[in-house]
Amino acid sequence: MQLQALVDHAVTEVGRVLLGKEPQIRLALCCLFARGHLLIEDLPGMGKTTLSHALADVLGLNYKRVQFTSDLLPADILGVSVFDRTDATFTFHPGPIFTQLLLADEINRTTPRTQSALLEAMAEGQVTVEGETRPLPSPFFVIATQNPIHQSGTYPLPESQLDRFLMRLELGYPHPQAERTMFLNQHHALGNNRSPKQCISADQLQLIRQAVEQVHASDNLLDYLQRLVAYTRQSHEFAVGLSPRGALALLDSAKTWAVMNSRGHVVPEDLQMVLPSVAAHRLVPSGDYAGDNQALVAILQHNVDVVGP
Amino acid sequence: MRPEQQVPRNALVWIIITMFTLVAPHVGRIPLWILGLYAIAVFWRIMVYSGRWSFPGRWVKVALTLTCFSGTFFSFGTLIGLEPTVALLLAAFALKLIELVNRKDGYVLLFLGYFLCITEFLFSQDIPIALYSLLNVTLITTGLVALNQPGQHRFNFKTIRLPALMLLQAFPLMLVLFFLFPRIGPLWTVPLKSLTAKTGVSDFMKPGDISNLSQSDEVAFRVQFEGEIPSREDMYWRGLVFSRLVEGAWTSLVYYEIPVRERREKPVTTDGEPVEYSVIMEPTQQNWLFSLRYARPLGRGVMRAPDYRLFLPIEMEDEYQYRVRSWPDTVLDRELSDWRRRTELALPEDTNPRTRQLGVELRRSAADDRAFVDTVLRKFNQEPYIYTLQPPTLGEDAMDEFLFETRRGFCEHYAYAFVVMMRAAGLPARVVAGYQGGEINPVNRTVIVHQFDAHAWAEVWLEGEGWVRVDPTAAVSPDRIEWGLEQAVSGEGTFLAGSPLSPLRFRSVAWVNTLRLRYDALTYQWQKWVIGYEGERQYNFLQKLLGEVSGWNFVVVLLGSWLLVLLPVALSLLSKRTIRRLSPAEKQFVSFCNKLAKAGISRAPSEAPGDYSRRVVRLHPSMAPQVTQISALYNELAYADAGLSAARRADLLEQFARAVRGLKMPSKHQGASE
Repeated sequence: MQLQALVDHAVTEVGRVLLGKEPQIRLALCCLFARGHLLIEDLPGMGKTTLSHALADVLGLNYKRVQFTSDLLPADILGVSVFDRTDATFTFHPGPIFTQLLLADEINRTTPRTQSALLEAMAEGQVTVEGETRPLPSPFFVIATQNPIHQSGTYPLPESQLDRFLMRLELGYPHPQAERTMFLNQHHALGNNRSPKQCISADQLQLIRQAVEQVHASDNLLDYLQRLVAYTRQSHEFAVGLSPRGALALLDSAKTWAVMNSRGHVVPEDLQMVLPSVAAHRLVPSGDYAGDNQALVAILQHNVDVVGP
Repeated sequence: MRPEQQVPRNALVWIIITMFTLVAPHVGRIPLWILGLYAIAVFWRIMVYSGRWSFPGRWVKVALTLTCFSGTFFSFGTLIGLEPTVALLLAAFALKLIELVNRKDGYVLLFLGYFLCITEFLFSQDIPIALYSLLNVTLITTGLVALNQPGQHRFNFKTIRLPALMLLQAFPLMLVLFFLFPRIGPLWTVPLKSLTAKTGVSDFMKPGDISNLSQSDEVAFRVQFEGEIPSREDMYWRGLVFSRLVEGAWTSLVYYEIPVRERREKPVTTDGEPVEYSVIMEPTQQNWLFSLRYARPLGRGVMRAPDYRLFLPIEMEDEYQYRVRSWPDTVLDRELSDWRRRTELALPEDTNPRTRQLGVELRRSAADDRAFVDTVLRKFNQEPYIYTLQPPTLGEDAMDEFLFETRRGFCEHYAYAFVVMMRAAGLPARVVAGYQGGEINPVNRTVIVHQFDAHAWAEVWLEGEGWVRVDPTAAVSPDRIEWGLEQAVSGEGTFLAGSPLSPLRFRSVAWVNTLRLRYDALTYQWQKWVIGYEGERQYNFLQKLLGEVSGWNFVVVLLGSWLLVLLPVALSLLSKRTIRRLSPAEKQFVSFCNKLAKAGISRAPSEAPGDYSRRVVRLHPSMAPQVTQISALYNELAYADAGLSAARRADLLEQFARAVRGLKMPSKHQGASE
């Protein structure tokens, strides 16, 4: 019960800077609580960076931001050893990746080489520079953003790397009412310019994580999960079904969502809430179905019965 | 509009393709502005899709509809008839596209498309059209499939694979239904007639009519003989008997002009060996049928006229198949009634004086009637008469002009002149029109009778012999009867002069001829087994299959064959899915859902139990305590069952079952506001 209050507080805090986007904020928090990396895909100016800033603030994490460009090199992120004349030794200057929360802006603008250096760090939780393995701080989160419009000079992430992100979110245009509030408060907010307060400490984050591990997933629920996964592997709309890693991600996110709603067990609604964000970027439509992935997930959810065989 | 109701671009493209393939076979018979309408409709819809134009307003739609009606009326001069109605339907189909807003409209349009697909068969039922319709059905079904795949933002050619596969899978069932399902006659029909005339022998014959008809290479009918095929010279296909000459044209007697006692055929004793054959007629839009001399139909539907020809009570709009038995040696009308004699002797007083005079003179110099006939034939044979496909046009006294001046004529000229001379000399005679000869197809031993086999000859009534067939053409040009028209006019080079590409002109090229004959044999089988497969033929087929056709074994075979086709499908489907039994709690929950479904609130498969209960409570606040309790119990049993002891589980299950049993249904009216 305490945890829910904590979460609700964090949501309100973030909601003060990103208006009218509560579901997305909850999902983003869910992703971080589940120790997953987050990919935000939307047009410029939709609040991607605002969201990541606010998330870092409420979690009290130290935070760095890297703007990805086509000439960015792996060393620019990971760090580099520089010769120190006074000591006559090489000292390692850690790159921006040595932080708790890294915001990788426009990840699809940089070359695959740099992308994979980052993605390796994301998967392993450590980086290897000049033969020496250095652990990354804990917790370590990456929030990457990318522009969905196909532009020249971009390198779209391949499916295998998309899989490293636990969730992909789209923020979408704000509700007119929220937008109106935003207009009215523009200068007021600038003058005030108060960033969200920290609501969740590192210990509490650990607590949430422990709670997630205690969440019970019943046979009925696992049956439903397996039916969902089986549908993606059998139905003709899908070229590639969900991988076991994808299925695990789905379950983990659902458990976290249950904790965020102060429940000790997962119900199908939890699974359905996280399904679009967790599954959409992992699915590949077949030639029979040349639509967008959101519609594909809608088909998936619509066609699988929650109850029964 | 919600995204799932939008028409995906992929579906729109398929719909547009389908529209054009549907209208394509009608191009020759609808006015051109309808094609223009299609172009406009497609353009308009694409502009709407790209957001540059908007859907037409109400008054624009009304104006367009009225324009289509009046356009059809002015193009055809009428709105009634096959072509105008089909044209209207096609125009409506085009207009429907520009008010295609959501998926529901797409369904309506495509279902109308299936209907349009059928209209092709009103004009032709040949193999190419049938194949083309299969293509159309596949395309329409593809449109339906594409409508059901939301979010497809590009044209996707592969969409056609699924419907093609589905239709292929449906094919065996279609065959079973086609062969076994009883043909039920229509409950009502609208007599719609085509406005375009079909070629064929007409019941009004002027000199020159048959030579015109002989320019056509279309098939008139095909005949399959049971035994040996008679020789060419004996194949005189009687269709019409012209007894009356009015204003230079021969016409047959209309039913009501015949006195009542003459209307029925006289009893006839048959002589000689019968010939049995079945005929498949191409549609003629007329009602007379062709048969060899003295024919009796086998099977129902065909009627007999007192001048020994066969006809149908209705006009043939489609291929028609009938079986006949003929006795060519039978004596017809040993006695002639007074009325009949008067009719068959009547001649207009004021025309052709020289021909009539000639007849009287020749009869006077002949010993008897038979000798008189021979004299006239000899005259045609020995004097310089020419058999030609291009006879000169004749004036008022046509036969005088023909016999004494031009001396060039086709079969109808000779038959006409012959009958006039006979009648002038007091010998009952009449002109008979039909076809003579035919091409024997070696592939399946059918006789193909073309329009250019059209022929006219004469019948003379002789004392003691009845009606005797006399063909004056045989006296002028024996080749016509022995070898056919092509040989008879080969010197002239006029055979099928109007259709230079007809495959019949290339009979000397072996492969063209083989191909033509094989295709014709295929057409015959098609007409026999597909188009003509109804009524008697189906009964015979079923009898062969079942031994005896009774209601019971028919039903057994129909269901059995369905089972035979569907069982493998069902087995393969069942083997794919693993059957999981419902747990006791799930069973109770399903019966809870069923109870609510009866009250009008059914659970969507994707609706989670909690969401469902909340929706029920929202719709029926009065049920809140019960439903909340049930929901909580199910939640505990199905999802929150960690560390639940067996006894506690049994206890909860008992409570749950009791709660579901005791659930009070709300009245339906309350739920109607959903």
